[in-house]
Amino acid sequence: MSRNELISPEGLRLDGRRANELRRHTAKLGPLSQADGSAFLQHGHTKALAAVYGPREPRHRAHAMHDRAYLNIEFNIAPFATGERKKRNKSDKRLLEMAHFVKQTFEPVIMTRLYPRSQIDLYIQILQDDGGALHAAINASTLALIHAGIPMKDYVCAVSVCCYKDASLLDLNRMEENTEHADLTVAVLPKSGDISLLQMESRLHADKLSDLMDLSIAGCRQIWKTLDGVVRENGEEEQQKASEVSMVLEK
Amino acid sequence: MSELVVPGQRLGHTDQLVPGTGTFARGDLVYASVVGQVRRTDLPNGPEGKMQVTVHREKEASTVPEVDGIVVGTVLRVNPRAATLSIQVVGERTCTNEFNGVIRVEDIRATEKDKVKMTESFRPGDVVRAQVVSLGDARSYYLSTAKNILGVLHAKSLAGAPMYPVSWREMKCSQTGGIELRKCAKPF
Repeated sequence: MSRNELISPEGLRLDGRRANELRRHTAKLGPLSQADGSAFLQHGHTKALAAVYGPREPRHRAHAMHDRAYLNIEFNIAPFATGERKKRNKSDKRLLEMAHFVKQTFEPVIMTRLYPRSQIDLYIQILQDDGGALHAAINASTLALIHAGIPMKDYVCAVSVCCYKDASLLDLNRMEENTEHADLTVAVLPKSGDISLLQMESRLHADKLSDLMDLSIAGCRQIWKTLDGVVRENGEEEQQKASEVSMVLEK
Repeated sequence: MSELVVPGQRLGHTDQLVPGTGTFARGDLVYASVVGQVRRTDLPNGPEGKMQVTVHREKEASTVPEVDGIVVGTVLRVNPRAATLSIQVVGERTCTNEFNGVIRVEDIRATEKDKVKMTESFRPGDVVRAQVVSLGDARSYYLSTAKNILGVLHAKSLAGAPMYPVSWREMKCSQTGGIELRKCAKPF
């Protein structure tokens, strides 16, 4: 298989996956005890940590909105996240853009109107970046927001897809992301099937779009199953703990 | 143990259910918006055959004060025009982060508003139950104690000992027996 070929004749990708296969993804709720809600999520080697604080008093008075909460999102990539060590400035346009994507994704999903004149902070840290930082960040944020108990209309599950020759690739790693093929990140609300984010930075033939969308929605559903499993497990644990506490209190 | 639901999970039809906290309606259907246990309660004077559905969380999220809600806070500072409070409890729930509230001198009591003196109503450190009048300016919520049940719940005397209320405007020190003036809350 030549160097710039993404799929071998056997139909395997550079890391041995099939075209429509996700990387292994695992998640954990509540790694940070200080935050109101937090989550750690891994897509293959990409690791994201999200923390939610609030709803709380707005940091700046200008952010207080009389009818809904202000959503403050900070996105950061750790200096050691990629192969070459790189310190990123907080005002890095790329990071601000990523934060903006996450904000756009969550603004219609979070029920901000329940918390007027307050602020919800969401801090996202990419600890290791092996491609798909944006969709890992979105998935981690969903978990952190649910863990914080912030009312949401649905989960938000995101995945990246790429069109390569006749095939559509799911969940790109860094090597695949660095090629010149058009890749797009899709965020879906799995229950309603609404699309919350559709982000692409290159050009794609319109005929290919529907295939890519089908694949990404299928991928999002798979991610949703994982996230749902983690949330339910955590919820049951918390119920268990609460019932133990109430039993002790009764004694 | 009742059923655990997750955000976006369908709970039922609006024909039978009225969405409460932790739920929302989209079209004709009611969905959960937080993780928790489902509770269905009868509405006392609601439409017939309808139940209110709420999703109750084990770990309560922090709340924000809302208009007409009852809050409890500590007096931070007083001046002749207003007392500043740090709100710690909203309704039945404690806030993880504190909000600022202001009781203006004309909102302390319902009658004889012009004779109220701030120093005869609150002192810094008093724990006060108040009602939210409005969301106020950008800095703080406006609060009122112009009801019998609202006012000082707990205060310490100049001697540093806790005081108990002897009338709606007087409190007695448990150690020295000295009388101090406060706008007391009527015990339930």
